[in-house]
Amino acid sequence: MTTLETPSAPLTVRLEEFEGPLDLLLHLARTQEIDLARLPIRRITDQYLAYLEAVEFRHLETAGEFLVLAATLIYLKSRLLLPQPEADETEALDEEAEALRRELEARLAAYARIKALGAWLGEREAWEAQVHVRDWNELPEPDSLPLEAVSLWDLAEAYRRFLARLAEEEPVREVGPEPPSLLGRMAEILGQLEHSWYVFFTALLGASPPRAEVVVTLLALLELVRLRQVRAVQREPFGEIVIERLPRAEVSDGT
Amino acid sequence: MGPEALAIVEAMLFASDAPLEVERIQEVLEASREEALAVVSALQAQYDASGRGLAVAEVAGGYRMGTRPELAPWLLKLRRAQLKARLSRAALETLAIIAYRQPIARPEIEQLRGVGAEGVLAHLLERRLIRVVGRKETPGRPLLYGTTREFLLHFGLRDLSELPPFEAPAEGPAASAPDPTRPSDDGQPEG
Repeated sequence: MTTLETPSAPLTVRLEEFEGPLDLLLHLARTQEIDLARLPIRRITDQYLAYLEAVEFRHLETAGEFLVLAATLIYLKSRLLLPQPEADETEALDEEAEALRRELEARLAAYARIKALGAWLGEREAWEAQVHVRDWNELPEPDSLPLEAVSLWDLAEAYRRFLARLAEEEPVREVGPEPPSLLGRMAEILGQLEHSWYVFFTALLGASPPRAEVVVTLLALLELVRLRQVRAVQREPFGEIVIERLPRAEVSDGT
Repeated sequence: MGPEALAIVEAMLFASDAPLEVERIQEVLEASREEALAVVSALQAQYDASGRGLAVAEVAGGYRMGTRPELAPWLLKLRRAQLKARLSRAALETLAIIAYRQPIARPEIEQLRGVGAEGVLAHLLERRLIRVVGRKETPGRPLLYGTTREFLLHFGLRDLSELPPFEAPAEGPAASAPDPTRPSDDGQPEG
């Protein structure tokens, strides 16, 4: 555990509240009333690191973003070779490090502005959300619809929808359900015959049954005929095959 | 253009489900651009002066009739509803970057905010607030993004020039917040 140099920094803060490392840095600078154009590297680095230590990262990617800035800050701090009194805010850096620091300050200033503009848009959105307009049109459609520019995104979206539809159809054709077991199918057929004396052979099969199901159904029927549970009747050549239940009295012990 | 034109434009705005461009109004009235604009302005002024529940506003390159924002609480009460979900802060900041710097590619957006932008961009594309406007001619040819008409509609903006200037750090967001009387400020000629 580290001892915090700034007791005012609340350790309970959740990093999710910050929209990234620049947002955290901006927050630190604002609460300390630091001039964004002249960052006190020592102070801000210590505070930044204290925050990171207090936080448990949930996503590695988020952590990475925060750590990149941490590395920059630590590097800058390491370039402040000579120890200076804390009060001295004019931390002297060599040319290369000074350029890095300027870049960081510029990024921070740009982010501060973006954050303000985002807030402006937010207020604008809230205001506009209160305006209610007609969102349907009762007028007849124009005879000639003006062609609207289709963006790449629209095409990509159409392609995605098409693929999604394909994916939905695929399993029915390719990966059929487990074919029913012979015994199971026999029981099903007998079950259907519980309620009526006969059933059409075609009715035992669905509209377009998988091949395996046709085979199992046929085998089940043949087995039931052999066991004298049912009989198959065809009244005319190529006519419907009717499966009839045989009276129980005639049932012989098949096993 | 007589008082009849006023009634015609009012009916057109009422019956439309999207902002009406001044060209369409011209077409129907068989009038010049100036005449059409004058009729719209007169209608706007009438609505504002008589304290009606509706107002005519210029949004996304057209004119639109809508309820006055101040009346939203009553409308929500009518529908026993809540206000629509708003965009996240990440989405708003990303939109701000794209609105000012378009066309802009993802790496620049990420550099400016210091965080990854892939998820936010996908969300904004899906909501049609931004669109792909091309590719940048740099290694990897990243996609370039720009804002859409839907963006202007969502924020009730006439056009992009209505955004506050980017380089104005001295001014906080409150100073350039939307003016509640904006729907009535038709006295300002807009180019």
